[in-house]
Amino acid sequence: MAKVFIYPATSLILSDMVARFGHTPLSSATAIRERIQTAGLESPPLQITPEEPKKGLRWAAVEVPSGVRGRMSLYGPMIGDCEAAIIINDADLAFGCMGCARTNELVKFLIHQKEIPKLELNYPKNEEEGVRFVAAIKRFLTELGGTR
Amino acid sequence: MTEYTPTHVGTVTKYVVVESFDVTPADLALRGYEISQGVMIKETCFGIVINGNEEEVDRIITELRKMDPDNIFVKDRGFPPGDARRCRANLGGARPGYNGMEHEMTLIPYVSHGLKELKKRDEKTIPLPENPLEHPLLDIYKLKILIDAQES
Amino acid sequence: MTSPVRIAQLSCGPEYSGIQHEIDTAAREVGGEIFYPDVALKDIRRDFDAFGLDVKSPDLKLTIARAMALVEGRVEADAVFIATCFRCAEAAIVRNELRRYINEHSKLPVVSYSFTERTTSGTLLTRMEALTTIARRRALLARETQQGITMGVDSGSATTKAVVMKDNRIIGKGWQPTTEVLKSAQEVIAHALLEAGITRDEVQAVGTTGYGRFLVGKEIRADLIQEELTVNSKGAVYLANRQHGPATVIDIGGMDNKAITVMDGIPGVFTMGGICAGASGRFLEMTAKRLGVDITELGPLSMKGFGGRVPMNSYCIVFGTQSLVNALAAGSSREDVAAAACHSVAEQVFEQQLQEVDIKEPVIMVGGTSLIEGLVFAMGELLQTKIIVPPYSQYIGAVGSALLVSGFIKDD
Repeated sequence: MAKVFIYPATSLILSDMVARFGHTPLSSATAIRERIQTAGLESPPLQITPEEPKKGLRWAAVEVPSGVRGRMSLYGPMIGDCEAAIIINDADLAFGCMGCARTNELVKFLIHQKEIPKLELNYPKNEEEGVRFVAAIKRFLTELGGTR
Repeated sequence: MTEYTPTHVGTVTKYVVVESFDVTPADLALRGYEISQGVMIKETCFGIVINGNEEEVDRIITELRKMDPDNIFVKDRGFPPGDARRCRANLGGARPGYNGMEHEMTLIPYVSHGLKELKKRDEKTIPLPENPLEHPLLDIYKLKILIDAQES
Repeated sequence: MTSPVRIAQLSCGPEYSGIQHEIDTAAREVGGEIFYPDVALKDIRRDFDAFGLDVKSPDLKLTIARAMALVEGRVEADAVFIATCFRCAEAAIVRNELRRYINEHSKLPVVSYSFTERTTSGTLLTRMEALTTIARRRALLARETQQGITMGVDSGSATTKAVVMKDNRIIGKGWQPTTEVLKSAQEVIAHALLEAGITRDEVQAVGTTGYGRFLVGKEIRADLIQEELTVNSKGAVYLANRQHGPATVIDIGGMDNKAITVMDGIPGVFTMGGICAGASGRFLEMTAKRLGVDITELGPLSMKGFGGRVPMNSYCIVFGTQSLVNALAAGSSREDVAAAACHSVAEQVFEQQLQEVDIKEPVIMVGGTSLIEGLVFAMGELLQTKIIVPPYSQYIGAVGSALLVSGFIKDD
């Protein structure tokens, strides 16, 4: 079972596909869950404290906006952990955790830098593209091996 | 700053979303209640949200998926069901993630179709989708057609 | 209990900067409630296209759609708080354009802010309070004349001022540097009462404003405790006799600066802050000290000089002071240095704050620094307009407070 980073990290479709075909999706939700289930100082709604943008300095310099660095504190460790990645390139309407274009550029760049199996896609726009989309993901995930 | 004491520690929360002619979110919730043991289930407009220990949640999801495998989709959620920090009633408007889900729900039917077709066709014959990072050169035959069109 | 003022938040990044809680807290402390205008995906697509600003960040697209829902009345709000990450160019463009759009197409008061992970609720408090004041006290802010005998106290970061007014005239005033907040207040009050020739008991209502407003207000049992953004802008248009139509009020204070656009005496858009003391009255105080003149002499001195002859950038008060010392050591005249210091402060305010509001004439400068002619001249040059400095401009907060609190005089 491989840890597969999904982009957009909030994607229902990718999260489902990865789990459906036997692997573990690394998504925003798991990073947020970790924070809201950990005791510390109160910082609602996401339990991202002002310390998180400081942790984000590992991936982005201090002149990079705090929102980017805070988000990188979610994604940076996941990018470090992942063993494969599926990237949807035309994810223009992923909000919230994926709501910042600058963070998204950095996340994609760091994934591209990493030597792991990657699958680059666009969202399907009709039924036939849907077939190719699902087939490509299934093939990619099967080739990773070690499915549960 | 005040101390934060988390709740639901060690549990997972998952969305089970249904986009089907045969199964409604209410059906999904009903079936969930039938087979659940000690997990929390909440119905939403897209489907249900389940919270509990991971093995139990996964067991229920495996069962639920059987109701309509190609039209039921699952993803993790950071917050437990009905958490005030993400609740629309408290925020005045939907959390941003909701709009993202709305967007993917418009594409889900294509994915469902893909899942169904995959069972019928020989997978090896299905061409790969174009890699969006590659900008393919213009096909020579397409080029000829374009030139011919210009000349005629 | 009155229902909270509903403040619509249009933002990108505060949850991920760890400061959403600070925004919520600041709003709650002043009787406000933050909410997010509800929009559907179809609204986002349509409104983003209609607005025509092709940004890439999805949360900024969402913000644009939320702003349009407010302006078009699909979602009701009492006020708008726009907040995006400091140093994000894309968000800064959206922040400015939305602020302008909301101001032009609605009556909603707007404050915009760029935050970092270090932003605290304390920093946001005065801005939020101004939003709730405008929403709650529109009728009070519409008051155009002072009635009866009232007193206003402005407990500022640098100076404390008090004014006694009677039948729309200033009859007593007091001024002194702020040392101990309460002691300074009591002394200026005593001075103002003495000058007015009346006793404390004859004063029918008292208002406080400025940094020390809560502390002083509690001590002297004030009838009205109100932040300086709304009070000063009211005082400015009152003293400048520009109570109708648009105006822009600039107040370069001892600790931070305020820029407020006003329509019929009611603030529409305002900013508050300053990157460094280099863009505040403090720097001019230091300059005066270094030049060996009283702060009151700095203005006339600077008017005799030409700032362009001295390179100076007071972006940071330390570097600004360094430029000042270097210039003097290199033989620059005191007049030129004084003029350069005035220009530098005006330029910082112009570059960092006046870009966050749309300047509408007349421009009224108030506060103690408005008495420094060189600073007013430099600001006028930058804005290409003649700036009004009303009489008693250094007492602006106290006058505004005395004016507004006359609405609280109880009929016996």
